[in-house]
Amino acid sequence: MSDEQDSGHEPTRTKVPMPLATLSDPHLGDAAKNPSRAEAIIAAILVVGILMTAGFGAAYVDNWNPWAIGATMGGGLFLLGFGLTAWGKYLMPQGPFVEERHVLASSPEERGAMAAALVERSAVVVKRRKLLGGLFALGASIFGIVAVFPLLRSLGPQPGDSLDVTDWRKGMLLVDSNGRSVNQGTLVVGGIMTVYPHGLQNSTYSQSIDQTVLIRVQDSDLVTAPGRETWAPAGYVAYSKVCTHLGCPVGLYEQQLELLVCPCHQSMFNVRNGAVPIFGPAPRPLPQLPLYFAADGTLRAQAGYDQAPGPGFYERTTTKENGT
Amino acid sequence: MAALGTLGLVCPGASAQASTTAKASAVSSSVKACGSVNLRGVSATDDSGNPFHSSKLVCFDGMLIRYGDSAITYSNPPASYATAGKLLFDQICASCHGSEANGISPSGAASIGPNLQGVGAATVDFWITTGRMPAADVAAVEAERKPPRLSDKQALEVAAYINSLDPSVPAVPTPNLKGADVADGASLFALNCAACHTITGAGDALAFGTNAPTLQNRQITAQQVVEAMRTGPANMPRFSGNLSDAQVRDVVAYVTEKIQHPSNPGGAGLGGVGPVAEGFIALLLGVGGLALICFWIGERS
Repeated sequence: MSDEQDSGHEPTRTKVPMPLATLSDPHLGDAAKNPSRAEAIIAAILVVGILMTAGFGAAYVDNWNPWAIGATMGGGLFLLGFGLTAWGKYLMPQGPFVEERHVLASSPEERGAMAAALVERSAVVVKRRKLLGGLFALGASIFGIVAVFPLLRSLGPQPGDSLDVTDWRKGMLLVDSNGRSVNQGTLVVGGIMTVYPHGLQNSTYSQSIDQTVLIRVQDSDLVTAPGRETWAPAGYVAYSKVCTHLGCPVGLYEQQLELLVCPCHQSMFNVRNGAVPIFGPAPRPLPQLPLYFAADGTLRAQAGYDQAPGPGFYERTTTKENGT
Repeated sequence: MAALGTLGLVCPGASAQASTTAKASAVSSSVKACGSVNLRGVSATDDSGNPFHSSKLVCFDGMLIRYGDSAITYSNPPASYATAGKLLFDQICASCHGSEANGISPSGAASIGPNLQGVGAATVDFWITTGRMPAADVAAVEAERKPPRLSDKQALEVAAYINSLDPSVPAVPTPNLKGADVADGASLFALNCAACHTITGAGDALAFGTNAPTLQNRQITAQQVVEAMRTGPANMPRFSGNLSDAQVRDVVAYVTEKIQHPSNPGGAGLGGVGPVAEGFIALLLGVGGLALICFWIGERS
């Protein structure tokens, strides 16, 4: 009956059997002393929970709307859990219970015998099992060698110029995501589109590194910087769509302000002026793609970008300062 | 009105040079039937809101009445509306845009508002029916959408008057959403619109106090979306030859059917403004609720 056995300060090794709970147990709460009401409430909760769980099965099989599936599953699990918790809280004896722990240590004699056995056996085991010891050592050393592979692999091959150059080449046709080429009448002033090198518009690599915004700023040729006299025929100007800060797509064009804005960190680039950043964390202008109209009227690239697009990296050799 | 005769067919840049000979002859014969139409607002590329590549071109008495294809029909308001439109313009608009709607104030200096000659009926209809014009505050960075002050018919009357000064396109569009490919519209929206309006269409801040307005507002009509795409109001780029009328119609269907009526499989959309709002709710309700449950379990009865 009594959990609080006063067995003194001496630890005992005798196991006390768990006493059976009766309704007169002082640890039982009021609800447990007269359990029929609490039992009825908990039973009702469990029944509703069962119904909702079954409803969840029906909702899932019959593919009801997501609200019904979520509500029946959530409600069913919640009510089952609630019922279980309430059962524990209101119908079970509430502590504090004290169960004294017996002494865990073995007797000194047992410990002495064990130590003696270990010393004796290990001498035999290691001598007799040279094969197993050798195999284990071999496995461990192979693992040690394999663990060096990733370290060696990180030494090469060198990225070379793969970060500096894109797929844009001299004479490459500009196409939209559907592969349609651009001619002089495609955009009106204030228009924007995203273009890719012809044939690569569906390549995910090209969509990430070659993506270029094509904007028509005016009807006549535009000079964005000295040395770029022929780069923007009929007001068509093209910049890399990869932000020089962290590589987000610079797709926000404000046609009255003539600004390209990066949606990630609000870097702003002056379209008329060689995409020089005028605000935000971008450190360099967006590279400009030189354009020309071919004899067949299509817009093509005079050459690739003259510098690496996108964010900076170690050993970047084509970095140019603002305005160039 | 004197400028009318000199305008003729004004193509952007030297686009006529790029056209094939067959196209050029088709254009000139159409122009003869339609009088002078300023093409400043449309691209020379086929099937992109250009009346002279239209399968529904209707001209009467030297006036462009209607054009377009099965996706979008563009029609000009009746010329008879222009008289009433001039009265409205003189009362409401002329103080900022100049008495000739040419952006010149009586003193000869530039007026507060821009030149409206040659903008086309769709531009006028967009700014008036979205309530942005007449402007509430002429000094504001941008005119925000508000309940329109003029009726739809009055907007068309003003548009007819402006268009009579310098007949231009685009005319007022009517998209036919029945054949629209909403999935195509969704991918076009992601490529062309989501950068500024966000992928849920909730709108976002832009540079120097400007913003891309929300598209989730159900007051926005399909017609207004076409007008915005084809005319490029304020800082919005103008989508011309790179989107055909059928593609514009697909985008409009996506905006009016999905952006304005999001399905929100998780329940509440929370404004579609992204992970900040969603994370806040998850922390408040999710973690807060779990904490309350923990307190209840741990509490002695």
